[in-house]
Amino acid sequence: VSFRRSALLVAFAAGWGVAAWLLWRSSLPAYRLQHLSETALFPARVLASAQHYSSVARLFWLGATLTQLAVLGVYARYGVRWMRESAAGPVGTGMLLGMIGFALVWAAQLPFAVLAVWWRRHNGLDGSYVQATVGDWLLLGAQFVALCIALAVVMNLARVRWIGDRWWLPAAPVFVGITTLLAFVAPWLLGGSPLRAPYVSQLERIEHVHVPVRVISGFGEPNAFATGLGPSRRVFLWQPILERPFTAREDRFVLAHELGHLAHDHIWKSVAWYALLAFPLAYLLARVARRRGGMGMPEAVPLVILAYVVLQLVFLPLRNAVSRHMEAEADWSALRATHDPAAGGALFRLFVAETKDDPSPPWWDYVFLENHPTLLQRIEMTRYWEDYAAAQSP
Amino acid sequence: MNTRMTAHSAHPVRLVVEDDYRRSRVTVFFRLLLAIPHLIWFFLWSIFAVIVAIINWVATLILGRPPAWIHRFLCAFVRYSVHLSAYFGLAANPYPGFLGEAGEYPIDVDLPEEPQAQSRWKTLLRPLLVIPALLLGGVLGGSIGVPAAGLIMNRGHRSRSGRFEGGGGLGGGVLAGICAILGWFAALVTGRMPKGLRDASTYGIGYGAQVRAYTLLLTDVYPNSDPTTILETVEPPAAHPVHVVGDAHDLRRSRLTVFFRLLFAIPHFVWLYLWGYVLVLVAIFNWFATVIMGRSPRWCHRFISRYVRYQFHVYAFVSLAANPFPGFTGAPGTYPLDLELPADPQRQSRVKTFFRVFLAVPAFLVSFGVEVALFTAAFLTWFVSLMRGSAPWGMRNLMAYALRYLAQTNAYLFLLTDRYPNASPLEGEATPAE
Repeated sequence: VSFRRSALLVAFAAGWGVAAWLLWRSSLPAYRLQHLSETALFPARVLASAQHYSSVARLFWLGATLTQLAVLGVYARYGVRWMRESAAGPVGTGMLLGMIGFALVWAAQLPFAVLAVWWRRHNGLDGSYVQATVGDWLLLGAQFVALCIALAVVMNLARVRWIGDRWWLPAAPVFVGITTLLAFVAPWLLGGSPLRAPYVSQLERIEHVHVPVRVISGFGEPNAFATGLGPSRRVFLWQPILERPFTAREDRFVLAHELGHLAHDHIWKSVAWYALLAFPLAYLLARVARRRGGMGMPEAVPLVILAYVVLQLVFLPLRNAVSRHMEAEADWSALRATHDPAAGGALFRLFVAETKDDPSPPWWDYVFLENHPTLLQRIEMTRYWEDYAAAQSP
Repeated sequence: MNTRMTAHSAHPVRLVVEDDYRRSRVTVFFRLLLAIPHLIWFFLWSIFAVIVAIINWVATLILGRPPAWIHRFLCAFVRYSVHLSAYFGLAANPYPGFLGEAGEYPIDVDLPEEPQAQSRWKTLLRPLLVIPALLLGGVLGGSIGVPAAGLIMNRGHRSRSGRFEGGGGLGGGVLAGICAILGWFAALVTGRMPKGLRDASTYGIGYGAQVRAYTLLLTDVYPNSDPTTILETVEPPAAHPVHVVGDAHDLRRSRLTVFFRLLFAIPHFVWLYLWGYVLVLVAIFNWFATVIMGRSPRWCHRFISRYVRYQFHVYAFVSLAANPFPGFTGAPGTYPLDLELPADPQRQSRVKTFFRVFLAVPAFLVSFGVEVALFTAAFLTWFVSLMRGSAPWGMRNLMAYALRYLAQTNAYLFLLTDRYPNASPLEGEATPAE
């Protein structure tokens, strides 16, 4: 049995590795970025302000994360006490315990959320106390629904006698299916108004992507994103990125970047990476749940929530690395489509001033928090493209 | 399980009901016009009462109890307001006297005969402490009598009609107002006030009397919204096939789940919403089937029963009438505050079934009043439960009444029973025949 299990594990690991390698492949050349000095790129005042802002914001994240782990640690130990507040049967009780866990985390993290808003406003950035409190409260309600659906799926599967502790095998595909469905449906729910700019059709032609490009308002920060699968594919630009100090050339670069995501099927790849991580994650959770009688028992839920959050943190560096890789490919795609590295460089320099993002954060920030290449790396990429394009031209 | 709400403790302000439900059609038809002299007199009296109440407040702060002459004057004022509210809201038939004399009207109120010693702190804070009671009194009705408080509560809000309206003014209250309007039609046709409407209206009047007595320092016992206590002199109605079972004394509430109660209920709301779509289809089919066969198909009856019971559980959880998180199936016997429904489909009149939606309209109107009361009570209970870790007895029983009525309306609409919802706040009592 041990040999058979080991063989299965090796086969699974090999399959996982091959799938990861296939997903990692990209159109990026084998590049080595030339290191630039940030002091030469940014005015000293802008750089100091961004670094100061980011260093404190990082501390808030660290505080909130440690608080979350501490609260969930205590909850994993004592959370079963709240079982007496339920008359909902095992699955319903599991849902209640899950919601209580998240509610406690929300309450414990609230001071950090409020402090973060104060810090943003103190530094001239957009931030709303109402959003950080009441808005997050409503968001918590949405999280509860998602949590209850997830627990209903896994607990009901675990309670099927012939599935039992193997619930993770059917549960992982179910979650992949739900994620795919959400990725497909979400773009239609976002609204926005069409962007009417002369460069839209030109870029769509170059990138071979013909999708609606929409502008959504109500945000205080410059940003953009691509989303959707198949017919629901869309690019959304947040209104501030179309306003001063950003220029039309820089907006064109942003749009090219987002179209690059769609051109290289990054949404599909994200779903595939999710699927790749869902199986080991669900398996590990099933192992943890066994310590409390299995996932079908509500007593397991507080411990499983703690394990889930810890595993998410463990997987975070890998997920960020994958995300950074895709973002780099989208940047490269934008450079190839626009042939305008100056616009890209100016855009990334502006981001430092407008969003106070540290262009060169410390390593642990890079590993745990950065899902895009650093702004310094992105500027270095534009310089690299200049040399690359010059070498490629006859 | 204890199925009956029993009176918890006697309140010094006690409603005495000797009404026989008979109404003179002529005086009912002209009731508003006939009440005009009383309303004018009441308005003048209440201006004077407000001045006296302020003097009483200062005097009680100094002396520790109200002066005897002021106590007697304000008792007469409160009693008169009860008589007038009862007449105005059709809870009683005879034309009331103008002096608020004791023992002369079918809906009367016993008040403390002598001024009672009162805590000075409670007296000082009385204008603030009374706000929740005024809020609830404004919803339940029978609030004629505290015009100044009404103006404070709604900041002198003037409605489109130009009248001042609000909890303690002449607005009367949502539930009592609806009962009065429906009772007006019923009394004109039958010459009698339906018991359910009369009891609901009387309940509002009784609670209003307690609020006024508390506001005017006639007692320092806080108003108690428990229907059983207020209507202890009223005969309970006959048992209804749709009724509430559960431990009425289960008042413990978990502060954590109270704080997040609305959010915890969101998955239930989503489920209720989705289930509701299927319910509509089943209910339409059930209606056709019952009109044709004279009885609901068994599977329809069971499906709809589950839905009605599940909705009851969810509302009980959300409103804090019960503590634990409910299940998602509406199974009987799974929740501490449960709903008893007819186990099997009953034979029903085809004509009544055919017109069921129209017949249910008065019940919908009362449901609206009951829902407002439920919402208000739940809102207030949230604060109390957070502070004390338990729900107030009176509020809990008011909410149980509201939930019961809403469930009876649903059961009637969806053909689980052809017994009309009973608006009486009192639980039905099984007769020997039943």
